[in-house]
Amino acid sequence: MIRVGVIGYGTIGQIHCRALQSVSGCELAVVADVDAGARARAQEDYGVDVVSDVEEMLQTTDVDLVDICVPTYLHEQVMVKAMEGNKHIFCEKPLARSLEEGRRLVDLSSNYAQKIGIGHVVRFTPAYVGIRQSVEGGEIGQAGVVRTFRGGSQFPVGWQDWFADVDLSGGVILDLAIHDLDFCRWLFGDVKRVYAKTSRKRTEAHLEHAMIVLRFKSGVIAHIEGSWTNLEGQFYTTIEIAGKNGLISYDSRETNPITIRTVPEQNVHVGAVAVDPYVLELQDMVQAILEDRPPLVSVADAFGTLQVALAALDSARTGQVIEL
Amino acid sequence: MVVRVGFLSLAHMHAYSYGRALNSLSNCILVGIYDPNQERGTKGAQAMNTQFFSDPEKLLTQVDAVIICSENNRHREFTELAAQYGCHVLCEKPIATTMEDGQAMIDACQKAEVKLQIAFPVRFATPVRQVKTMLDRGYIGEVVAISGTNHGQMPGGWFVNPVLAGGGAVMDHTVHVVDLVRWFLGQEFVSVYAEAGYGMLWDVDIDDCGMLSMELEGGTIVTQDPSWSRPRTNPTWGDVTLRIVGTKGIIDLDAYAQNFVVYDDAQNKVSQRSFAEDMDLGLIVDFIAMITDDREPSITGFDGLKAMEVALAAYESARAHKPIALNRQRQGSEYY
Repeated sequence: MIRVGVIGYGTIGQIHCRALQSVSGCELAVVADVDAGARARAQEDYGVDVVSDVEEMLQTTDVDLVDICVPTYLHEQVMVKAMEGNKHIFCEKPLARSLEEGRRLVDLSSNYAQKIGIGHVVRFTPAYVGIRQSVEGGEIGQAGVVRTFRGGSQFPVGWQDWFADVDLSGGVILDLAIHDLDFCRWLFGDVKRVYAKTSRKRTEAHLEHAMIVLRFKSGVIAHIEGSWTNLEGQFYTTIEIAGKNGLISYDSRETNPITIRTVPEQNVHVGAVAVDPYVLELQDMVQAILEDRPPLVSVADAFGTLQVALAALDSARTGQVIEL
Repeated sequence: MVVRVGFLSLAHMHAYSYGRALNSLSNCILVGIYDPNQERGTKGAQAMNTQFFSDPEKLLTQVDAVIICSENNRHREFTELAAQYGCHVLCEKPIATTMEDGQAMIDACQKAEVKLQIAFPVRFATPVRQVKTMLDRGYIGEVVAISGTNHGQMPGGWFVNPVLAGGGAVMDHTVHVVDLVRWFLGQEFVSVYAEAGYGMLWDVDIDDCGMLSMELEGGTIVTQDPSWSRPRTNPTWGDVTLRIVGTKGIIDLDAYAQNFVVYDDAQNKVSQRSFAEDMDLGLIVDFIAMITDDREPSITGFDGLKAMEVALAAYESARAHKPIALNRQRQGSEYY
């Protein structure tokens, strides 16, 4: 049984802890959080040991896999410590906040004896996995132009509102649009050029809307749109891929098998999935350890996506086209 | 007053819809059609229940106004000819294929004291007009970002000839959305970045897909997807959509959403049928009223020129791989 220690019991940490209950071959052993209230909640929710941080986890408990769910700007330092403890590591996306941090992690991980996987969860989402299979199976021929949208939900709740500080979170590009940047890289390979714009200068952080234009080395053109517009209240994603022989089109709003109507204005749409993508990504990590194989998303792979996202941030800030 | 109208060329298929609109109105009459392609012109005249003229000047002496539906690169010569005969002009978009030609058309009409209107019918779509009203009333606060699409199927014919059309998808499908944004916000575009793809979706040499990322003078960011990315099996020709993000809310506009779906086993085809109010009719009603009321065009030659300027800058950007700054000058000032 692989013993898992989750670092950070915020929004994503709670999702991971819940998902881990359904992952076979492992058990949630310890939860770390600097906040005493969060620790108490974790203990109450799962009856697990709690510690305050990664150091205490490494010193006082015996875990095999460290699952890093802290804010983005802390990923690198926590991962470095977990590597010093010679643990298997799973880390939420994005890999890091900066290029330097990302490079350091690539360097340190290249000869690392244990497994490291990065949580680009869209690669485990059924619709997107299916879309990738259709494209790779040649159903629409050579891809030419791609559009993605992700957003519409409430602004993410974070410790000390860290999402609102672009220096800490990278804003909507590094936190949200990165999912589609990663998915497109997974499908279409390396990006050649990036040009991006964001509304951040003119809206409060909680309403940031970003639009990124990518040109891939393969020639594919993509438009990636990410939105923290807490006015719609319903999270949704869309993707459309046009190829030489056809078009793939997906809108998550049209695929909810269940709509619950109770209180007016508060209809709930339910996308019924038997298996949670977070369970799948963590199961992949656990299997990688058990089978001694690399997890789906390596540090180097996640670094490739980070480079594109940071180029988009640079482009949005400077107004320049960024060649990769 | 009954306005006498003629067509100069039916090269653009929108002519048929405009012809139907003209024939449905009581304050105008379709006098005839000139088309350098006699076969096309005769066929069109038959379909629109009017006369074919083999001599354009003969037609021009019998009409008050013309609708020009020629290939894009011939808009100038037909406009200048119409102006010479004192005829008002409704010209299909884009205004021309070069800034010089577009400006020459504006100048010729000004000199001859005839009115020049550019055909941007989407402005007359009912949902589009409703959104314009909502924006004017500040429903979503200040507009900060717009994400637009004007997708289509590959039109073929002269549309894929770079000389006749002046460009492919980027030229064909940038101007509608750019015109809507200029009209909605009353602001000019100041920068354009674009990627263009040549023959990526169809067996053509011209650009059949692209992506534009632009900025308005007030700082609003705008992207536009002009791609001919609707496959042959698509249930409809394409779309015009705008996601308009404001400081107090969002409007998602789908100008062609009003349709139902027909599944036809005999034709082995699924298709959408529109039940929307006819925007082409709206355009023609407005054009005729401009003449009877002797008022300025609602969509001017300058509007057409500014929309084409963005498309031309997009090509320049796609070649240079950098954003292109646009002239901020507004209507009334000396231009080019």
